[in-house]
Amino acid sequence: MPLPELSIEKLEKEVYGSQIWKSMFRNWPWQDSTRHRARHIVDNVWLHLHPAKIQPRALRWTFTWGLGGISFLLFLILTISGVLLMFYYRPTVELAYQDMKDLEFAVSFGIILRNMHRWCAHGMVTIVMLHMIRVFLTGSYKKPREFNWAIGVILLKLTLFLSFTGYLLPWDQLAIWAVTVGTNMAAATPIIGNEGPFASLLGMTISNDVRFVLLGGTTVGANTLLRFYVMHCVAVPLVAAALMIVHFWRIRKDTFSAAPITKDEEKVDVWPNLVVREYIAAAGVTAFVFFVSVYVNAPLEEIANPNVTPNPSKAPWYFVGLQELLVYFDPWIAGVLLPGLIIGGLCAIPYLDTNKKGVGYYSWSERPFANAQFMFGITFWFILILIGNSFRGPNYFWYWPWESWLVHKPVAAPTWSFPLPLGVFSLLAYGGLGMTLPRLITADIAWKKATGAFLGFFALVGLWMHFGGDIAAWRVITVGFLLYLTFLFGFLYPQKYLQDLDMPRYIAVQSLVLMQMGVLVKMGLRLGLDVKYILELPQFNLNI
Amino acid sequence: MHRKLFYFFNFACLALFVAAGIVDNDREWKGYQKEYKRMEIARIEKALSTETDEAKKASLDIALKAARSMPIRLRQAMSKDLIRYDRCTSCHLGIDPAVNALQVNDYTEHPFKASVVPEHMSHPPVKFACTSCHGGQGLATTAEDAHGEIKHWEEPLLAQPYLQGTCVRCHDNFEDLEGAQEAKRGKDLVAKLGCVGCHSFKGKGGEVSVDLGDIADKPVSRIDWSQTTADLDRHQWNVKNWIELHLTRDPMSLVPGDPFGHSCEHLEKCEGVAPSGMPPFFEELSLEEAQAITAYMLGMTDRALPMQYKVPAVKKPVRYADNIEHGKAMYTKFGCAGCHGEGGADGRRNFNALGDGQDKTNLHSIEEMAKGREPTLTKVVGTYSRDELRKKLVDGVSPTSIVKFNPEGPTPPLFMPAWKTKIKGKEMEVLLDYLLSIAEDSGEEW
Repeated sequence: MPLPELSIEKLEKEVYGSQIWKSMFRNWPWQDSTRHRARHIVDNVWLHLHPAKIQPRALRWTFTWGLGGISFLLFLILTISGVLLMFYYRPTVELAYQDMKDLEFAVSFGIILRNMHRWCAHGMVTIVMLHMIRVFLTGSYKKPREFNWAIGVILLKLTLFLSFTGYLLPWDQLAIWAVTVGTNMAAATPIIGNEGPFASLLGMTISNDVRFVLLGGTTVGANTLLRFYVMHCVAVPLVAAALMIVHFWRIRKDTFSAAPITKDEEKVDVWPNLVVREYIAAAGVTAFVFFVSVYVNAPLEEIANPNVTPNPSKAPWYFVGLQELLVYFDPWIAGVLLPGLIIGGLCAIPYLDTNKKGVGYYSWSERPFANAQFMFGITFWFILILIGNSFRGPNYFWYWPWESWLVHKPVAAPTWSFPLPLGVFSLLAYGGLGMTLPRLITADIAWKKATGAFLGFFALVGLWMHFGGDIAAWRVITVGFLLYLTFLFGFLYPQKYLQDLDMPRYIAVQSLVLMQMGVLVKMGLRLGLDVKYILELPQFNLNI
Repeated sequence: MHRKLFYFFNFACLALFVAAGIVDNDREWKGYQKEYKRMEIARIEKALSTETDEAKKASLDIALKAARSMPIRLRQAMSKDLIRYDRCTSCHLGIDPAVNALQVNDYTEHPFKASVVPEHMSHPPVKFACTSCHGGQGLATTAEDAHGEIKHWEEPLLAQPYLQGTCVRCHDNFEDLEGAQEAKRGKDLVAKLGCVGCHSFKGKGGEVSVDLGDIADKPVSRIDWSQTTADLDRHQWNVKNWIELHLTRDPMSLVPGDPFGHSCEHLEKCEGVAPSGMPPFFEELSLEEAQAITAYMLGMTDRALPMQYKVPAVKKPVRYADNIEHGKAMYTKFGCAGCHGEGGADGRRNFNALGDGQDKTNLHSIEEMAKGREPTLTKVVGTYSRDELRKKLVDGVSPTSIVKFNPEGPTPPLFMPAWKTKIKGKEMEVLLDYLLSIAEDSGEEW
């Protein structure tokens, strides 16, 4: 009997033409036509969130860097690896740490899964932050995309919270003390935290305040582990996924921001032009994640021991910047007020920024004020993280990265506070002058001259402090540098660029700017002059 | 370009997935199991080739079959009571009764060696697992992690004689046990040196220094390792080494304190901190003796043990020939020798207290401050009446009332505790009898 002739064409026809195949996939036979490329997108449930056509400018790698898509990819990898890890993990204080050891030593692919989950979590936090920076710099939050920016900010916070709740689950020393540091800040919430200002209004104690609700107890324990587990695996991912759907849908509805959009511009097909780029980014990131996970193990320290506090105890790296602020501020400011202002301020940006230029492309010259203030804040945030993470050792003293933590450092110099009248005066002067001067002085200030005048004035004051007040040169320089930044970003920029802003927006913007620079001033006073508080009102637990 | 990237990343993902599988499959213990299996098959085949007796041949055949079908898999010993899951037998196959039922083979090398000791018979793995006596990280399956001398694991594998410390945890009668002689030697040395004069053991003893009743549980992170860099690497930071260093080095160099107050010099009120007050026992202890004491100390734990694992001992009554002998036993029991030396003949170092031959012109010298001494009793008890001496024992001497060598220096670390709640009644009286009997010049009248 002769062998049947093997014809690929015939086989294709039979397979693709069969009822089974056709019921699952449409669009056969494939033709390389615009219509078919479009149907690839619109007929596919996974791809139909894309438009069928897109402006070519949006395809450039250097426009988005693929950051939003990579965030979503990492979320998917985290979901899959997380679900697999759930098969092996029991959220109890007796078993959680043992399960970590089992994952490492006895479970097939266990340690690789855990590494993947850990490194992707850190990666997602980083990438989401970078995504936000990109969206800001391309002006993609401006009308009509204001609300989607706010959703994005909330998604960023959810990402941090997801990572934070997951931090506890290995139940080692790293986990419980990082979570202890993080949740202790909740105790400092005004009114509803037992250590915060006005805690007595609602009768807050250690066993009924917001921290107690978060922990399910007064310390990090079995209840906390279960709470964090449920939040980490169920509650927060559900909320995040729901908001992601909204986030994506709004991008589709508001159209992609890449500019310029000219009338006669020819759009290109999303399939394959955009899809292949997305695929390459996804495959590249997946390969990178795989590589890291095979060769670098996630950290695991001793089993959690509530009686042994590591010195120093540090929050997870993305919160260590706020922890660093605890050096300069009371917990209710560093842990509650400032994060609240950051979130609120970020959400408010699209509604405060009236500049219509700079949508869909990077431009410093068209948006000098917005870019300068935002990038200053971002740089400040990462410098704080760097200090907290790398420059802080035992007793939270300053250790350079090349210094051994075994070397004992002398006790810090004693601090002092402003007397009450001076404190009130200083705050009123800072706020009052800071709010009014940029608008009262309408003249065109030459920045070079202003900088020269500032430096000259400060040099005189500095020399007097150094020689008259016997203050070390590095302290004078620290104070001077931080005051100059405050002068630049808190006065010169607003003076030049906020003259024409309407009054309500001006008040909101300048308040945020002054508070951001106020953090810097306080840091300078503390590092340079050992000032503990500018305003001290212990009877209300209110110290600034 | 995109096509190339598409293929490159796809292949990279695939290759890394395969690499992950290979890395995951390549486990250290599998190599040991395969090697053991190979050796076992070769041994039986060799025996078969020279065996002539049919019956023995048949049994060897069965053994060969068993060896050939031995699965390569993770093995573990479990003790539900002690909550131990120990995977030691995944590599140490010779000791696993399921693999080596007779517990004999010729393999001299670890990890194949079956070294059956009587203690294994009386401590079956189903009841004790492995790490409850031997230490180490039972859940781990690589030699480095399992043997536990690593960062973030605080119970390393214990070799002899340290292993004997774990006998002390359950056996109240360990002094009479075969195989716990080093622990007994350690206990005797602890009594002879008078450690209990300064260190309590679960509340019994002096209050000058820390309670040693749970010293084996001391967390590594509570220890200041800054002065051990010459002796230990980071992975050797564990309680065993910390205890032993106190006995093989001068504790003053191990815990130097801050006698001149450098760490607080810009604060208004700043008194220096004296170095460790522990006498330099390393001068009189051999290495074996230091290890014996360390072994005994490793039995000092507060961890809960199931009742049925405790082996109680009957206390033997002790008879003394006379009050002096009874008093001498009290001198040992309360650790007076720790500060005053054996027989009260050798007052030990007390930093920045007064001592013989100190150069008063050199108040800021560590060496001169370290010449400070506790009283040598044979020289001073003669100057006390019996009631005065009793009062001294009952009330003690507070650290702040000790006369300093350098008045601006730190408070001397050692002091006489108030023994009023601990030495009472007959014990006090016989101790006084003994103390007055050792005075060198008791005849001197005042």
